[in-house]
Amino acid sequence: MQAIKVESLRKRYGDREVLKGINLEIEEGEFYALMGPNGSGKTTLVSIIASVIPPSEGRVEILGKDARLMKKYIGYVPQGNFSSSHLTGRENLTYFARLMGYPKDKVRKIVDELLERVGLSKEADKKVSKYSGGMRKRLEVATAFMPGTKVLILDEPTTGLDPSARKSFLGMLQEMKEEDTTILLVTHIGSDAEIASRVAFMDDGKIVADGKPEELKRKSGLRYVVNVETAIKSERIRDAIEKFGEEGLLETENGYRIFCDDAEKASPEIVKILDRIGCKVTRIGIEKPSLEDVFFKLTRKGIGG
Amino acid sequence: MGQVSATFTKTFKELLREKSVLFWTIAWPIIWVMIISFSFTKGVPESHIPSVRGAITISMITFAITIAGMANLPGNIASDRERGLLVKLKSMPVSASKDFAGRIIGLLTFSCLAGFLVLISGFVCGARFSGKLVSIIQSLGFLAIVFLASAGIGLIVGSLIKHVHGAIMTGVAISVITSSISGIFAPYYSLPEVLQTFSRFYPVSSANSSIIYLLVGEWYAGYNPLNFEQIVITLIVSALLFALGLTLYSKHCWR
Repeated sequence: MQAIKVESLRKRYGDREVLKGINLEIEEGEFYALMGPNGSGKTTLVSIIASVIPPSEGRVEILGKDARLMKKYIGYVPQGNFSSSHLTGRENLTYFARLMGYPKDKVRKIVDELLERVGLSKEADKKVSKYSGGMRKRLEVATAFMPGTKVLILDEPTTGLDPSARKSFLGMLQEMKEEDTTILLVTHIGSDAEIASRVAFMDDGKIVADGKPEELKRKSGLRYVVNVETAIKSERIRDAIEKFGEEGLLETENGYRIFCDDAEKASPEIVKILDRIGCKVTRIGIEKPSLEDVFFKLTRKGIGG
Repeated sequence: MGQVSATFTKTFKELLREKSVLFWTIAWPIIWVMIISFSFTKGVPESHIPSVRGAITISMITFAITIAGMANLPGNIASDRERGLLVKLKSMPVSASKDFAGRIIGLLTFSCLAGFLVLISGFVCGARFSGKLVSIIQSLGFLAIVFLASAGIGLIVGSLIKHVHGAIMTGVAISVITSSISGIFAPYYSLPEVLQTFSRFYPVSSANSSIIYLLVGEWYAGYNPLNFEQIVITLIVSALLFALGLTLYSKHCWR
């Protein structure tokens, strides 16, 4: 059975159409990642799936029924930190468990199990204001993982986490994936989406590609990418190396990713040319394409915005 | 009942653990009870001082309830919205009316606690009240009107102003300014005529004067507010403020 089914979904705000006829099917137990740049409509799409906002047109089904009737089976973790910093981790979970209608005598057991599951048992009685970003995010995932939850929807959960917290958070998601929970992860970070069993790319209110991560990479035709990190970035540098990127050139935070047919041959020449124009190369390497690279190949847009 | 009680517990604990809320709602009125009781009673005949302190204590209880409704409630709503809690709640099988009921009961309990502590401080400072049991019960009714009007204004502010600090500061400004110009901070007789009229129509000051009239005496209230017309207007304006606040809350925070 499909855990999530979205049919011809459209969302308009005045004259602006944010979602342009989305169709999506996610099977039960699947770990599905939705990738796209800011403003592509990812958050609007998951907000409609989680019944937070209504669609302008179209239909959303959760486990074969109208999504609005299936709220108790959906665990939604929106962007930001919605837990209360004035309450302890245990008090926050108790609040959400009681909102779900569990009887008082069962709430304690449920909360203890959830704390154990997200590795916060020892910190349960500390105020959330004393938690690190990673701990707080784990607590918030726990609020969405009450007994009976069949579909977990996470909107950019790793944003703002340091690398170690991010790694531990993704490890926790992988464990949940093994437990047959359907997970819909919204992200703009390719390495987060890599752990999903299926990835969809979203751009300008549409899903432009959908498939297994390796399948998407294979279909893109990209083989290797030269990643050049430079001390500075400028038009002059870009002009000098652009010719090597037969498949394109993507500007990153620290330099450039050059999509070329023969990376082995191109990389020493790139160094030579950059040296000639006086640009200091801080790092150069040949890498396999990432999901961000595949997205760029498809849309000619960087996923970072 | 589970959802109401869960929201009540959360709201009450959050209010109780926020230092700025404790200061504005409990410490600030208590400080004023002490300052006015000992510093501004010069020239008042000795026999009148306990009653003056009683009137001051009542005004500060009113102010505590006012600030709880007008500043703490919008702060709590704006904070829940800003951090995405309302979005989270909309995705859950949570009833908007139960969330509202829990929030209001939490605020009411906190307001009662604040009012009780201000009352104790008044007794410690030598405040004296008169009146029979029926006057005390009537006074509790008027305090309920103060709560209703303040919570109504708080709901309006919290629904319309999205940022936490903006919501709190607006609530503090409304409560301090209206208290200053309506005879809660200053005696009724010292107000210009136009503000005396405002004081009779503004439900918070009208209810405050009624309580002072009932528990301290007419001289301290400045006039007799217990006439049919004024009581009806006070009730209607309070109910309208609360209904408007509730409408805006359900429209802007839950839809």
